Amino acid sequence: MTSSCANSLAPELPAHKKTGMAEPVLREIHARLESFAATGQTGAIDLAGMPLTRADREALEAFLGRGEVSATLDVAGRSEIWETAYSGVWWVRHWGGDAVASELIEITAIPEILKTDRTDAAGAVKRLALTLQQRDRGSNGDGA
Amino acid sequence: MKNVQSLGALMEERGVSRRAFLKYASYVASLMALPPAAAAAMAEGLAKARRQSVIWLSFQECTGCTESITRAHSPTLENLIFDFISLDYQEVLMAACGEAADAARHAAMADNKGKYIVVVEGSVPTKDGGIYSAIGGVSNLQMLQETVENAFAVVAVGSCASFGGIPKANPNPTGAVAISDLIGGKPLINISGCPPIPEAIVGSLSYILSFGKLPELDHLGRPKAFFGETIHDRCYRRPFYERGLFADSFDDDGARQGWCLYKVGCKGPVTYNACATLKWNGGVSFPIQSGHGCLGCSEPNFWDGGGFYRPLPTPLGATGTVLAGAAVAGAALGLGASHLARKHQKNYLAAPKSEED
Repeated sequence: MTSSCANSLAPELPAHKKTGMAEPVLREIHARLESFAATGQTGAIDLAGMPLTRADREALEAFLGRGEVSATLDVAGRSEIWETAYSGVWWVRHWGGDAVASELIEITAIPEILKTDRTDAAGAVKRLALTLQQRDRGSNGDGA
Repeated sequence: MKNVQSLGALMEERGVSRRAFLKYASYVASLMALPPAAAAAMAEGLAKARRQSVIWLSFQECTGCTESITRAHSPTLENLIFDFISLDYQEVLMAACGEAADAARHAAMADNKGKYIVVVEGSVPTKDGGIYSAIGGVSNLQMLQETVENAFAVVAVGSCASFGGIPKANPNPTGAVAISDLIGGKPLINISGCPPIPEAIVGSLSYILSFGKLPELDHLGRPKAFFGETIHDRCYRRPFYERGLFADSFDDDGARQGWCLYKVGCKGPVTYNACATLKWNGGVSFPIQSGHGCLGCSEPNFWDGGGFYRPLPTPLGATGTVLAGAAVAGAALGLGASHLARKHQKNYLAAPKSEED
């Protein structure tokens, strides 16, 4: 998103141009995926730390494609997560309001953020017990 | 206001899962260029941390730094910091005022002795006993000394707090000084800028919360994650500099072509900040992208640097000649000018120190 004001004096911004930087990222993904397949070693690449233009990102996303799994999270804003056409290569996009706040490529069986934390599960145990208790009390009351 | 529950427990009560911590940590780790794997450790640290008591003091300042942090780029994420900290005293944002506000400050100091963080916005006048700025009859100097005494760490937000800023500018009628001059050996982070980039404030506070220590700092006490490179290092106009293509005025052909603003006074080569990468207003732009040179607002004594539109001095004392030569000779000489700029940087940064001496 660039304002017309910002564009008026700036040179042609290279956002729409491919720089070739997607290529080394693909090589890194390949190397990490090879390691994951052989040893189970997981890894992640922070796309924000790469000098990629918008066109580079779009090319990378198009190259990796979409696989069988996709998920949307609604926590502290929206997040989109999908497995690419290459099993074990996940694209994780976190939104912060209307803008992409961070973007990662994870080489793993399943991104950490999709897993349920056991602490959350422990909290859910209590909540579920309480809800069941309240329901049972209510139904007993109805019966009496 | 004792905060005995962990942040994880507090957030759970609100129905927020650990995923929020992981997402937030992933965002902050990315901002601070930490390895992606650090996000998990950061999230765990945050979830175990207690809600951090923060006392925010406002002295000789314009409130621009408060404006900056409340204008978050990624509100759903950055605003989580206000769940992670307990902002026990902040004159602009708190509902209480007068004696009730001051009572809140004292209560936070007593309840969190040795654990609270003091954020300071603005410089402190020291001339004539510090009478030139006071709140409720208490001078800024007294309030600072009293508040930092039992603090865990101090965060100087903005160039006024970090280096004295505009209040300290020549002739400095109030004897304004930076916070670092007044707090002895207390752990200190300087997050300079006029105003500072909100992500730098949020990221630094989050790092302390997660890891219980200060992030790595540069020689001026600034987090290297945000102040490790110059504006020039990451400027998208840098290729023009390297090729010796410069704007000579703000309405010439070079300016319209978007060439380098070095010759119209850009201080990017000697200014360490993250504006060129994080940008402002939701990542829309930053001064150079809008056609104006960097003022160098995150560097000490930027206000007294000799003029915003005066080109940086060259060791040869002939910027125009050298740079015009670079324009004619093209890439090769442009690279020479780049090397010279590195040397200017050292000279420029050394100058204020020698004045102070």
